[in-house]
Amino acid sequence: MAAVGEWVLLAYRLPREPSGPRTTLWRRLRRLGVAQLGDGVVALPADARTRESLEWLADDVLAAGGTAGIWTARPGTAAQERELAAGMAAARAEEYRALTGECAAARTAPAAERARALRRLRAEWRAVGRRDFFPPPEREAAAAALRALAEAAGDPVAAGRGSRS
Amino acid sequence: MRWATRAGIHVDRAACAWLIRRFVDPAAEFVFVTDPADVPADATPFDMRGVALGHVGGDCSFETILRVHGLDDPVLERIGEIVHEADLDDGRFDAPEAPGLDVLMRGLSMTGDDERTLAVSGPLLDGLYEFIRRRLLLGREPA
Repeated sequence: MAAVGEWVLLAYRLPREPSGPRTTLWRRLRRLGVAQLGDGVVALPADARTRESLEWLADDVLAAGGTAGIWTARPGTAAQERELAAGMAAARAEEYRALTGECAAARTAPAAERARALRRLRAEWRAVGRRDFFPPPEREAAAAALRALAEAAGDPVAAGRGSRS
Repeated sequence: MRWATRAGIHVDRAACAWLIRRFVDPAAEFVFVTDPADVPADATPFDMRGVALGHVGGDCSFETILRVHGLDDPVLERIGEIVHEADLDDGRFDAPEAPGLDVLMRGLSMTGDDERTLAVSGPLLDGLYEFIRRRLLLGREPA
């Protein structure tokens, strides 16, 4: 794909103290799976949902006494966009690998714990999927590990199937 | 009374509109705007940036309306948790209904305009209310 896409950017400044709002913002940005473009500048591929998510965070920053702005932008070159996407895919790949490892560990756990782990890891799979804008191959490996865990837990429903939301 | 919100409604705004019409203002009329500057002077804005009935302190707009209008109803409180997770998905509440409600609402917004999303989601939310009411009364899943 030669044409570059549109991205939505949140540029913000937040006072260093108190640290509470900074920590909350950091956690919310992490949950959204943003790309960090610089100090106080994060980006997501633009759509109605990503734009809205960053807009609410901009309001949080303002409420905490900071400054924030929402921008839409296009990368200057396709290569720059590829690099951005690759970085985001690598971050998700890391999360899928951790998920795969946790599934494998849970398969040998006692039955009750296995069922609990399955519920937790399915939720985790959905959460990672929601911030996965450029799915890496590790996604499929994690889906397979979840299915194996579901079978080990005696769950008739194959895990992960169609669970991207 | 007139109420205004952003066009292209999803789960939080659809649920807010239902909440307003059922519990706050039965004669509510809704206006959908694309630019916050287009909110009519006589309309109360909700689920928009920088308005009182928006996201406050990590709450979604539905929860904010519950609080601001003093709607003290355990059924609505539970629906607020579901809407919160469907909209924000931050793990604050255990709400297994949330992902289902979210995809239904998103699908509605793909197949019709905002008026239709409101028209269809209203009876769905009425049903959700009744289901949760019975579940709370019985203390188990109703038949």
